[in-house]
Amino acid sequence: MRIFILLLTVILGFGPLVLAQNTPKNYCISCHQDTWQDLKNSIHGKQGITCEKCHGGDPTQPDKALAKAPSTGYIGVPDRMQIVQICGNCHANVEAMNFYGIRTDQLAKYKTSMHGKRLFENKDTRVPVCDDCHGYHDIVDIKDPNSPVYPLNIPKTCNRCHGNKALMKPYGIQTDMFQLYKNSVHGKALFEKKDMGVATCVSCHGSHGALPPGVRQVADACGKCHMNEKDNFLKSVHANLVDQGKFPQCIACHSNHGIQPVSVHLYDQACVKCHQPQSHAYQEGQKLKQLLSSAQQGLQQTQALVQKASIDGIFVEDETALLEETKTKVFQMEPLQHTLSYGKVAELSLQVNSQIKDIQNSIHQKRQSLQMRKIALWPLWIFIFIMVTVLWIRYKQLESSRKDKH
Amino acid sequence: MMKKKIRAWFEKRFDLKAIEQPLDYQLRKPLPKHISWFHTLGSMSLFLFLSQILTGILLLIYYRPTAEEAFESIKFIMTKPYMGWLYRQIHAWGANLMILVVFLHMLRTFVTGSFKKPRELTWVIGVTLFILTLIFGFTGYLLPWNQLSYWATTVGTEIAGAIPFIGEPMKVFMRGGAAVGGETLSRFFVIHVIILPWVVFFLVAIHLFLVRFQGMSTMDPVDKEKEIKKGEGIPFFPDHMVKEGIVWFVLLGILITLSILLPFELGEKANPLKTPEGIKPEWYFMSMYQVLKYFPKLIGIFVVGLAPLLLFLWPFLDRSPNRIPFKRPISMAVGVLTILSLLVFGILGTLSETKQTFFGKTYEFNIYGVPHVINTRGNSVNHNNDKQHK
Repeated sequence: MRIFILLLTVILGFGPLVLAQNTPKNYCISCHQDTWQDLKNSIHGKQGITCEKCHGGDPTQPDKALAKAPSTGYIGVPDRMQIVQICGNCHANVEAMNFYGIRTDQLAKYKTSMHGKRLFENKDTRVPVCDDCHGYHDIVDIKDPNSPVYPLNIPKTCNRCHGNKALMKPYGIQTDMFQLYKNSVHGKALFEKKDMGVATCVSCHGSHGALPPGVRQVADACGKCHMNEKDNFLKSVHANLVDQGKFPQCIACHSNHGIQPVSVHLYDQACVKCHQPQSHAYQEGQKLKQLLSSAQQGLQQTQALVQKASIDGIFVEDETALLEETKTKVFQMEPLQHTLSYGKVAELSLQVNSQIKDIQNSIHQKRQSLQMRKIALWPLWIFIFIMVTVLWIRYKQLESSRKDKH
Repeated sequence: MMKKKIRAWFEKRFDLKAIEQPLDYQLRKPLPKHISWFHTLGSMSLFLFLSQILTGILLLIYYRPTAEEAFESIKFIMTKPYMGWLYRQIHAWGANLMILVVFLHMLRTFVTGSFKKPRELTWVIGVTLFILTLIFGFTGYLLPWNQLSYWATTVGTEIAGAIPFIGEPMKVFMRGGAAVGGETLSRFFVIHVIILPWVVFFLVAIHLFLVRFQGMSTMDPVDKEKEIKKGEGIPFFPDHMVKEGIVWFVLLGILITLSILLPFELGEKANPLKTPEGIKPEWYFMSMYQVLKYFPKLIGIFVVGLAPLLLFLWPFLDRSPNRIPFKRPISMAVGVLTILSLLVFGILGTLSETKQTFFGKTYEFNIYGVPHVINTRGNSVNHNNDKQHK
């Protein structure tokens, strides 16, 4: 027992001292105090990844000359190409990243990206490298809302370069994408509703492997989220034109960065870009528009009808269930219209109209039934009046016969 | 011919005359001359009780007494079976009318002094029947398992739980656990459809037997009642029965009309996690509920408990031999005060915790039913502060 207590005292008393002696002192900090403040709170600092991993040198040397001696591999501030390689040393290392469960294809992807190609092939150092998007000493987890690559921050991060007119001029790239995106359906969902599932720059262009999608890849980019629209589009007559490079897929009608919420009026605005209003194709589009408008209006009216009936105290569970089914069908019509097949959309439209009619009839019947109940009160009270009158006459007869007896 | 054959068949087996004579005597027994339309309130109560039994049986065909199915089964009754909506509404309105009619019947008995000797026992059974009718209402109210019924039962059983010594175990016994739930529903269902109907049935039978056996009360003083000779009063059959037939038809019409024009809505399904605002009991418990707010818990329960006790004991407390109301001023004053307090506290209870607009001004009534004028912004206007500022 005494031995146990003695051992415990030794471990508890000298343990921390032993551990402290095992962690070598970082002499970089003595001069680079401000950098250390950033680094120690960063994701790397928290993992014990310090100065020498990126800058080389020997931080354990108290002497500056010895710490930065050529034998220590000291490189000072890495240049832009070095940055990519230094980050890749660990982040492209499966063995090193396995422990953290982080993917290791970033470097490989970067090399295939427009940014990477310009850097490595053209030696163009104006392109972004890792630290331009992720930061450097104060780098945080991408899931941290403070990270420049956190979904809500991505458009602003990309815009740091892509909104810079001077920087973009040599490449001939437009610089109003951020403004367009901010006012688009995606931008509003991201910035106003904080919907992080919505498309940002990287959803269409990729992140490390960033490339502008070509004419044939637009549907693939949009189709990552709008799968049904993409599948149906590929069945349309427009899909054949894509191979000929004549039709830039989704953006032909919807545009790209500044995409706005769609409505059936797009048939009036987009079709005329390529088709004459008198043309057969345009008229086909108008017929589709008519089917969609009528289904959407019918749905809206029926929703209001069911809601009003519910407020009036009518049980509308069955109608509500059918209405949900109808709503699903109307939603199905939206991606289906991309086939541009009048027959397919009309088939669904017929089902929608039939269900709308069923719901309206059912509500109408229920209202009629309530009205009938009120009307039925008249014969009921006539019957009661007759019975009461007969009994009253009999009562009076009995009363007068009683008086006569007296 | 057929009638004679049936009669002959029974005569060979039973002494029919021994049965017929007392029945005929009871049927023809004359009623006092002062019998008015108010004397049909008893038979109206009976009519409503029978209507409740009949509609209750119809409801039982589809009703499911579980927390999961109760609400849906009522919804089913109201939408699918033929005339389901009608017998559910008649049952709901019948319950309310029955409480009102039984109360009015008791009031008539009180005013005409009919509860006095030798009919004290008939009165005591009548009071028991009135209380059982209230319990019928309380237990039946939970069965649709909607938000109102759930929370009204929670409040109701909570009040019962405040009774000293027996309150807490009584509350747990009623609820079948710490809170109102599926167990409470099962218990209330059994009480509502098995225990109460049979108890009420037998008590009504005894009550009617006593009424017929002792005869209807005259307005003569106690111990000076004269026997009504044949030909002097009003024969029960057919004269009085015709009168009752008239009110039964009118009552049936009222019941169906109310069911159609003012149907009871089912509301939302009970949700133990969502307490609705301003939850209140049904109108017949409203005055009692309001009175409880003005007193500390125990005193409140004592005050409220005093009312049924006084009702039971009234024939033994009111010893005056007179039956005519004008000759019983104290008794009548007590009666009038009771009715007025029921009305006042009932109205205060209904208005409490609500906003009402009278003559263009909006008032907010606090839990005691005291009104406060509120301005257009919805803030209460404090008159004392206004005066101080002036």
